[in-house]
Amino acid sequence: MNSMAIELLAPRYAIAWYPWAVQYFFLIALSYATLWLAAPALVFGKQRWLPTARLAMLACLTTTLVAPVALLADLHQPLRFWHFYAYATSSSWMSIGSLLLPLYVVGVLLLAWLAWRPALQANRQAPGLAGLVARLLSFGDAPTPRALLVLVGLGTLVLSTGIMLYTGAELAIVKARPLWNTVWLPPMLVATGFIAAAGLILVLNRVSGLRAPASNGQMLKVLLGACVVAGLVAGSWFLDGINANVGSVAAALDSVRASPSWRSTALWGGLTGVALFGAVLYLLTRPAARRPALFAWAWVLGLVAIHMGWMFRWVVLMDVQHVARNSAGFHHYGIPAGSSGLLGIVGTFGLWLAAALVIDLLIPWRQARQGGSAADVSPSESNAQSDAKSVEGAPSHG
Amino acid sequence: MDHLRRSLLGQLARLSAGAALIPLSSVASAGINSQPPRREGDPTKRYGMLIDLRQCIGCQACTVSCHIENAAPLGKFRTTVSQYEVEHQETGELATFMLPRLCNHCENPPCVPVCPVEATFQRQDGIVVVDSDRCVGCAYCVNACPYDARFINDRTQTADKCTFCAHRLEAGLLPACVESCVGGARIIGDMRDPESQISRMIAEHRDELMVLQPEKNTLPQVFYLGMDERFITRPLAEPVALEVLDPHGKEMGYEFHGH
Repeated sequence: MNSMAIELLAPRYAIAWYPWAVQYFFLIALSYATLWLAAPALVFGKQRWLPTARLAMLACLTTTLVAPVALLADLHQPLRFWHFYAYATSSSWMSIGSLLLPLYVVGVLLLAWLAWRPALQANRQAPGLAGLVARLLSFGDAPTPRALLVLVGLGTLVLSTGIMLYTGAELAIVKARPLWNTVWLPPMLVATGFIAAAGLILVLNRVSGLRAPASNGQMLKVLLGACVVAGLVAGSWFLDGINANVGSVAAALDSVRASPSWRSTALWGGLTGVALFGAVLYLLTRPAARRPALFAWAWVLGLVAIHMGWMFRWVVLMDVQHVARNSAGFHHYGIPAGSSGLLGIVGTFGLWLAAALVIDLLIPWRQARQGGSAADVSPSESNAQSDAKSVEGAPSHG
Repeated sequence: MDHLRRSLLGQLARLSAGAALIPLSSVASAGINSQPPRREGDPTKRYGMLIDLRQCIGCQACTVSCHIENAAPLGKFRTTVSQYEVEHQETGELATFMLPRLCNHCENPPCVPVCPVEATFQRQDGIVVVDSDRCVGCAYCVNACPYDARFINDRTQTADKCTFCAHRLEAGLLPACVESCVGGARIIGDMRDPESQISRMIAEHRDELMVLQPEKNTLPQVFYLGMDERFITRPLAEPVALEVLDPHGKEMGYEFHGH
């Protein structure tokens, strides 16, 4: 640090976006990425991807439901959310997002309902609440047309690209935060979103007891691909700006030079990324005979991947707000215990867990299909859950 | 930051001071993140401020009177005076540099197009204001302003900022900060009126005027006279230590490094 000047007096500038924003960006990224991971089976008819699609739809619906809650909580005047629709503004990416988001949520709800409907129809005789929910939600005996599922799926995929675009652009246009102001940020958010989504499906595959071996292999490949893309994007961003005096890379280098906490963050992020990539590559290149035993541990890499996706958003949204832009140095921000801090973070995850458990209890998501009727839900599939539970060491839950 | 970059920015700062009176119609074009049409206010006027740093003694009278006039919450400021101790690198001589900061009421304000509900808008007289009845408190504008001129008001839970004391201007009064300035360092006025004091001073000192962060292309309309170009961007300075704790972990107040 050049010691030629000392800042004697400057206000303490608070952060404007709270950890709620991290939770929203994280959950909505999981939402659109898991939607794309459900698409091969549900929309494009790839039978081998069906177990993955079932896990992905569970992840997609739950994150899609909880993400807007976190977004609403980040408003200082949440009850005025209707102003977004009363005074829509074409110049603002946030306003465009506020119009896209409800359409996207409806699309995901419709897609999940269509995918789960045959199983709901087959589940009507189930005892208790699950049967009641199945009777309420199955809406008659008519089969679910495959074409409708494909149509809704395609529409929702289109909307999801809108979500990717607006969440990225919303940050990338902010010149006041040089670290956000780069075209490489939106693709990086998408790449790390896919890393976290593949990780979440690996973890769900384990804790749900579904334990589909094909899903593990597929998600490890997605993880590898997303890691490569993230690496390429990060590399391009760095090379793009390395010689510039101003801009995103220069601001990042300034921060890393001036702050020990930014140094350790950069080191941690880099090492975790390389370690994750190396571990996934190792698993995927083992001889076929050894894979099943090794892939059973893929959920551990899943946890690391989720951590990557969340940490990236934490650094981008929270840490960047600590970099002073008009005064010297960095602002301090201890994470408060209340709703603008820890409670918000834990509460959002708690809400997600509750949503996942309620769906697991009441909805036969394990028999999601690419359309059809109750008769198509095979007994072996219906028993998949109890079979899985009989596997030694499988956790019992619910 | 190297010297070359500093002097380049200095040039830019001077040039954009000259561009102050060019109407923005050429910059505005339809599309995402472009400026929405201005509304309200007197279209025949364009308010701006000139701060003569040679007259500023850093007394913070502006900070205090603004705080009282506009009832900002404690710890948040619509205007304030940053103060720096600067050491001459060869002689070791010490000097204090004062930098009054406020909303720059930019000709191309980055805070306006981002607002999702058009609660923040630019009036036709150039003043950027917030409709706190419409504001949803998303704080996007707070992040979009490179000058830290905006904050979320804890009482109203909406965005808050300097309005050039528009309510006082309309009543024929000067803004609180201008009224209270001991040295008469702050000059506000209509830049479309060639006879106004600000117009005459801009004409007289055109080549010396500087604005803050000119590279952001915001075209600020607060001009500094007697500015050190090392301070037009984020200052390269040892920061204040904001948290000084007593033995019981309670905050004692402000203190700075190396003292």
